[in-house]
Amino acid sequence: MFLTRSEYDRGVNTFSPEGRLFQVEYAIEAIKLGSTAIGIRTPEGVVLAVEKRVQSPLLEASSIEKIMEIDGHLGCAMSGLTADARTMIDHARVTAQNHRFTFDEAIKVESATQAVCDLALRFGESVHDEEAMMSRPFGVALLIAGIDEIGPQLYHTDPSGTFTRYDAKAIGSGSEAAQSELQDKWHKQITLKEAQVLTLRVLKQVMEEKLDQHNVQLAQVTPTGFEILDETKLQEVIEAM
Amino acid sequence: MSIMELNGGSVIAMVGKDCVAIASDLRLGNQALGLSSNFQRIFPVTDRIYVGLPGLGTDVHTLWEKFRFRVNMYTIKEEREIEPETFAHLVSSTLYEHRFGPYFIEPVIAGLAKTPSGGVKPFIAATDLIGCLNFAKDFVVAGTASSKLFGMAEGLWEPDLEPEDLFETISQALMNAVDRDAYSGWGCVVHVITKDKIVTRTLKGRMD
Amino acid sequence: MPDMNSLAHPQQHQFNPYTENGGTILAIAGEDFTVIAGDTRQSEGYSIQTRYAPKVFRLTDKAVLAVNGFAADGNMFVKKVRQRLEWYRHAHAKDMPLRAIARLIQTMLYARRFFPFYVYNILGGIEEDGSGAVYSFDPVGSYEREACRAAGAAQSLVQPFLDNQIYFKNQTPAQDTSHPVHLPLHSVLALVIDSFTGATERHIEVGDGLEMYVVLARGNPALQSLQDLPGAEEVTGTQAEERVFVIRRDLKKD
Repeated sequence: MFLTRSEYDRGVNTFSPEGRLFQVEYAIEAIKLGSTAIGIRTPEGVVLAVEKRVQSPLLEASSIEKIMEIDGHLGCAMSGLTADARTMIDHARVTAQNHRFTFDEAIKVESATQAVCDLALRFGESVHDEEAMMSRPFGVALLIAGIDEIGPQLYHTDPSGTFTRYDAKAIGSGSEAAQSELQDKWHKQITLKEAQVLTLRVLKQVMEEKLDQHNVQLAQVTPTGFEILDETKLQEVIEAM
Repeated sequence: MSIMELNGGSVIAMVGKDCVAIASDLRLGNQALGLSSNFQRIFPVTDRIYVGLPGLGTDVHTLWEKFRFRVNMYTIKEEREIEPETFAHLVSSTLYEHRFGPYFIEPVIAGLAKTPSGGVKPFIAATDLIGCLNFAKDFVVAGTASSKLFGMAEGLWEPDLEPEDLFETISQALMNAVDRDAYSGWGCVVHVITKDKIVTRTLKGRMD
Repeated sequence: MPDMNSLAHPQQHQFNPYTENGGTILAIAGEDFTVIAGDTRQSEGYSIQTRYAPKVFRLTDKAVLAVNGFAADGNMFVKKVRQRLEWYRHAHAKDMPLRAIARLIQTMLYARRFFPFYVYNILGGIEEDGSGAVYSFDPVGSYEREACRAAGAAQSLVQPFLDNQIYFKNQTPAQDTSHPVHLPLHSVLALVIDSFTGATERHIEVGDGLEMYVVLARGNPALQSLQDLPGAEEVTGTQAEERVFVIRRDLKKD
């Protein structure tokens, strides 16, 4: 893709003459190596699903955490350099709690997403006396799911700090195939149950391993709040496939 | 520490149609500590005059005994009952005798005066602790809840209330005022004075 | 001739950054409306500074704030709250709900815990669920939602009257009846006017003018009667379903 490498590959905050920030574009590329994550918005709530790449039979599958809670009404799935996601989710959690503290209400999904994206471009060479900045762009994309007064919403963020709202979105290595499948199957009146099954079906299609309750994680945000489905509930959905 | 607020307590008097009412709370305290919920600070001067003595507890008794003595002397010498207005001046001059070392009491007087035609005319008055008289036409208040009593009375009172309505008005004014005053409360007593009779009622209030 | 004796002793001077500017504010919540009122006299000691200094301010189409105490702090505080409301609008693309404003005011007041805004705040308006609401604050941000509250110079005169007339304290309902939970708008306006005329009569710092803000919830049936009320001016912003009116009355000037 970027066959014409140049000196503009180096500086993280230097535009190329064509007006591109290569490091940011490479970061977006990095996500395409990550494990697949899927989000589906329904009128009842939002479903998130991720594949966990269990590299070795000795690896404890439950220690792979790719879906996290931001607040009672906000959840998040990630793909890419998941370590980077911690910084972002920490920031989102602090922002959400701060909002509750100051305004006695839950933060809106878009505002929380915006807060995360505000972090994305704070990289570059720090000047003397300035607060230390991050050395490179984040190498992770997020699917942020939540419910507020507007209703259930699903947002996608990438390393450029851009965020977009989706009805259904797939990220990671299997995203291209998954996304076209979602485009086929998603409809306005899809139920939460149907969405749960759909996420797993799509994951199954793009996963190399055989899907079971150990190598996928499923979560949802409904009016009752964010919830990561436990093994029994996950098993039920797998059986319903 | 204010001596006027040492023991707490409040009094209010109101004019009605051919009647007057005087009412007080029943608390005696030592600053924040409540001591008694049956401390009477309103006294009958004659059949038609009552006086309320809010302020320092010890002076309530001392001053009342002094008034009783002077009213008795007046009755004997003059061979007639004292009139409310005369009694008000007696109160005033008694307090002014102690201009530079006063009794810590702000008396409230309520009574019915005789008219030349043989009828009665409602009379109320109040003084400060050195005897400055205030002859109000509507209502007078005194004690630790005085500002609250002013607000209540200003909102509730209207002219020419019949005895039963006057009772309700003064009771509501007092009860709601003392409920917002930490130094007053613990029950109330209300006297409604009419030509033929005096009705005294003890009211149950909140005990906090 | 300067007093030479006084020069012999050390003199101590201290700057006092606070003044008390008198006046009284009051708010009462109905089922689907709220009335927020304040007098307009501003005084310092025994002098009247002005007979028209508003203490009640429309913040949004569903929130009105009354401030009482040190006028300079009050005006600055309202400015800062309005600034925060605009920031919030830009960040979250909506007007701040009433309970959020209440919480914001607490955090703003408590941020100045050791050099407080010398102001008692009463916030009134319409809640997200369409109910009338009153929030009252102390100068360092302790707050509470109530049905009614008076504050300021004549608080001690007005509050017991409100206890009696709004909460029906010390009143027992007749057999098989109960006290109304909420009063209609015309009764509330009458009580507000009575409260302020009473306070004006007995308190030197209260008087000159009365401003009563009325916030009506969506579809309030009292809308027509308020539009017909002589002297009632609508001050609603642009898009709102809630409606805000201000009614002005003269109070005694002595």
